[in-house]
Amino acid sequence: MTPTPRHPIQGNVLGTQPESLAAFDRLYGLLWSHGLVDHTAKELARLRNARITDCGY
Amino acid sequence: MSWLPELAPGDTGLDRVFGLRPDLYDAFRAFYALFWTRGLLDPVVLELCRVRVAQLLGCATEQAVRYAPARDAGLTEAQLAALPRWPDDPRFTDAQRAALAFAEQFVLDPHGVDHGLRDAVIDHLELAGLVALCEALALFDGFCRFRTVLAVDGPSTPTLVAAPSADGPLP
Repeated sequence: MTPTPRHPIQGNVLGTQPESLAAFDRLYGLLWSHGLVDHTAKELARLRNARITDCGY
Repeated sequence: MSWLPELAPGDTGLDRVFGLRPDLYDAFRAFYALFWTRGLLDPVVLELCRVRVAQLLGCATEQAVRYAPARDAGLTEAQLAALPRWPDDPRFTDAQRAALAFAEQFVLDPHGVDHGLRDAVIDHLELAGLVALCEALALFDGFCRFRTVLAVDGPSTPTLVAAPSADGPLP
């Protein structure tokens, strides 16, 4: 039996607002699953933003 | 006027710019509207933080918008005019001060958000309120920058608008 993947943030403090978490998931999921910008560029921008803002997560 | 060479049809500047990606705009509006329509935070606290973020980032459009739920809950133009002086102005409650102190640090340097700032918000809004506040601040901060970079049109004088909705225009 394949284990169900754990939602990366549902189990933490963001889970205290399940409705907004679900809405965020829809928006963020769209951003990564559709679009004109290729995934490599999106990932580079995400990582660069994390470095500039010093976000270790 | 936005410098973009192409705009979508729409009633507002944000409709015309964000409407270029209608799937993302729909999901964004559904997310954004929750904060006003589902009572995730007190509407006055939410509005004060939205306008304060816009002041810190110099976003004139967001500073001019007035969402009706906050006005209906008692927010006045006099209190908004006093917003830059919130630490000392008697118009602000302790809960509003806690949220505004947190909001300012969130925008200026999130690594500077310490236990004192967090605990003050939790004391007044509980943990779920702190989470909702962080989500709202992330939206306000990010979309002030979005509006600024893309020169999104919007009101230049105080303008009262209805609560954001999942399928209506955003100012």
